[in-house]
Amino acid sequence: MTPSAASSIDERASAIDRAKQEVARNTREGELLVDRVFHRYSTFGRQTEVLRDVSFRIAPGQVACVVGPSGCGKSTLLGLAAGLLRPTAGTILWDGAPVVIGRNRHLGMAFQQPGLFPWMSVRKNVAIGLRTRGYPRRDARRIADEFLHTVGLSDFKDAYPSQLSGGMAQRVGIARALALRPRLLLLDEPFAAVDAFTRLKLQQEFKALLALTRPTVLFVTHDVAEAIALGDVIVVMTQRPATVQRIIPVAREERHRASAAYARKLAETLECLGVTSDMGDEH
Amino acid sequence: MASIDNGIASTVDISATASPRLSPRVRAWLLGLAGTAVAIAVWSLLSHWLAHGGGVINRLPGPIAVVRELVQYATSDLASDLLASLRVFAIGWLVGAASAALVGLALGRASLLGGIFLPIVEAIRPVSSIAWVPLSIVWFGFGLTSKVFLVGLAVFLVVIVYAVDGSHRVPADLERTATMLGMNEWQRFASLVLPGTLAEVLIGSRVALTAGWGTVIVAELVAANSGLGAHLIAVEQSYNVSAVMATMICFAAAGFAMNAAFTFMEQRLMPWRHDRARQER
Amino acid sequence: MTRSPHPAARRVLLPLVGVACVLGAWEATLALYRLPAIVLPTPWSVATALADLITTRAFWHDVGVSLYEFAVGYAIGVVLGVAIGILMGERRHFRMAATPVIESLRFIVPFAWIPLTILWFGTSYTGKILLVAYAVFFVMVVSTARAVAQVEPTLSRVGTMLGMGSWRLAFTVHLRAAAPTLASAARAAAAIGWIAVVAAEYIGASAGLGLMITNAAASLATPVVIAGMFVIGVVGAGVSAAIGTLSRKWLDYR
Repeated sequence: MTPSAASSIDERASAIDRAKQEVARNTREGELLVDRVFHRYSTFGRQTEVLRDVSFRIAPGQVACVVGPSGCGKSTLLGLAAGLLRPTAGTILWDGAPVVIGRNRHLGMAFQQPGLFPWMSVRKNVAIGLRTRGYPRRDARRIADEFLHTVGLSDFKDAYPSQLSGGMAQRVGIARALALRPRLLLLDEPFAAVDAFTRLKLQQEFKALLALTRPTVLFVTHDVAEAIALGDVIVVMTQRPATVQRIIPVAREERHRASAAYARKLAETLECLGVTSDMGDEH
Repeated sequence: MASIDNGIASTVDISATASPRLSPRVRAWLLGLAGTAVAIAVWSLLSHWLAHGGGVINRLPGPIAVVRELVQYATSDLASDLLASLRVFAIGWLVGAASAALVGLALGRASLLGGIFLPIVEAIRPVSSIAWVPLSIVWFGFGLTSKVFLVGLAVFLVVIVYAVDGSHRVPADLERTATMLGMNEWQRFASLVLPGTLAEVLIGSRVALTAGWGTVIVAELVAANSGLGAHLIAVEQSYNVSAVMATMICFAAAGFAMNAAFTFMEQRLMPWRHDRARQER
Repeated sequence: MTRSPHPAARRVLLPLVGVACVLGAWEATLALYRLPAIVLPTPWSVATALADLITTRAFWHDVGVSLYEFAVGYAIGVVLGVAIGILMGERRHFRMAATPVIESLRFIVPFAWIPLTILWFGTSYTGKILLVAYAVFFVMVVSTARAVAQVEPTLSRVGTMLGMGSWRLAFTVHLRAAAPTLASAARAAAAIGWIAVVAAEYIGASAGLGLMITNAAASLATPVVIAGMFVIGVVGAGVSAAIGTLSRKWLDYR
């Protein structure tokens, strides 16, 4: 064992111990725990505080939707949970252990821009993540085909990203994330860049997909209606420097758009965000 | 999405998320200095190693010898040689840029003329003006005319593209404003086309600085009777390697100074063009 | 601007008119000024000179020499340039350290190196090859560094998310995404490299196209000089077109 490998294992061990001491709870497998996270970044010498004392917990298999005013740091939170960034202070625990910076095999992520590799076909785009994880080519292709079928894009297996519409590209991005069979799924406003009708359709399809694997989901969105439709729990953030304002649970009957319960939930969430629900005439 | 981009930008260097010990600018400076120091050290080592029978390159003077030669040159002929080269360059550059502006304007606006002659210009453009050196010597001999012709041709070939582009590219909304204001053909030309073309010509002229200055040295290497290039040949023929390197450095420094001066002037004269000009580098 | 009724015909006919004008002006200058053939030969003599050259073995040997020097130098320059460019694009600290050195060397135009290469390598092929490599290297290293650093950030994040380590990311994503930009840089580099060979041969060579032209100029065989310039242009265009076609087939995904 190389010295650096040994010391990183040591570091990890002491980090786990520290976490277990600080957090007097039962951490369970499949749980995402954000514990007192602060985050700052500096551009051109200026420091900006983005997240201040953010804490919440997502139970295994739960879908948590994070909503908040734009620029409040929701995307940064996602980056931290994904191990793309290291928090300035605080910890994020997955499976009871702190999230590692860099490659993380347990998660899949979909971004606001689909981020498909333009030089690869749709099928290859979905398969590449599996190839990186060591799947042989034939298996990777087979799994990719399966997930493309699930999102309804089997006919476009051999097309190139430039030939796809926005909604289709987003579907491929989600198929790519799901094909990794992640236990933690992170989504950064994945339906924000498509038109309203496509968005509603994608929300429906997405719910169906989640039912297949039941990962733990952290879903960032600016659309409150979307959050109610998809989330088991809504995490409402404040403006920057953002902290958690409220955590609002969503019950099954509140998802029905024609129900009074839905309207109440919508009003409740909007009120948190400082938006009035009564749009009556102003003259 | 701004926040994740800013955060991610420092993913490769995670310490940026912690409070930085040194501001990025200071760090860039220090690293740059370190890099230069390493390069000079390698140079010195190579010159030591090669001095004692290192094969083909049996003469690599170290930095100190070159600096000594540089000082010696600076206190003797550098000024006059530099002036001679600059004279050739200045005349050629002005002539080349001016003619490119005129020809480009004409070919750009008169679509018939453009259709006839622009393809020919496009065909000749890739053939660098340096290919013309022997012909230029046959035509003009070894004198000033020959060198000015070559530099002018090089500059012309670069600037003409900008001039034609500039004469075409009047923004659509300015055209509409001109129509609304009821301008006639001449007024449009004077207020819209001309300034636009000139702005592009200026940008192109700066890009042509490097091409033109490089052509000066080739012209002077072949027709070696005056200027930095001539000096370069002279010291080459007397096997004075350190003087050769010193002269090369002078040449590069002059080119760098001209580029910097021109960029500075461009920023002052056309601040609204600043960002585009930066991209043209 | 009125629209011509036959745009396609225009595009073919007008340049032909242009060529005709040029040839006409050429002949007219000859008739008006009565210049000796040494200064301005007739178009026909240039054409015959070109035909003669094409049928001479020595000519093809010279062209071969120049192309060989160019090709080897180009290959070296591209490989080294892209490699170091990737390093500069990926590792910020390396880029900050290397930039002053590279920027200052970039100002020493390749042609300024010609006397030095002649001092060190004489008129051999090695000197020209190194010169071309130098010229090509600087074009490629700057473009590669810039292109790699400017890859769309989402693609990098996707790669990391999919589990790619930083070097796998560099080659499978960054380099591949930057490939079209590199292809156009490669074409520009080819133009500079080709002219560097010719210029070097003008000044000191034992064989090659440039030497052939210089000799012709020295013996005042002007038709050969002009024919030679034409060959320089054609070969340059050919190399550029070849690189363009190859890169469009393999690298372009847009």
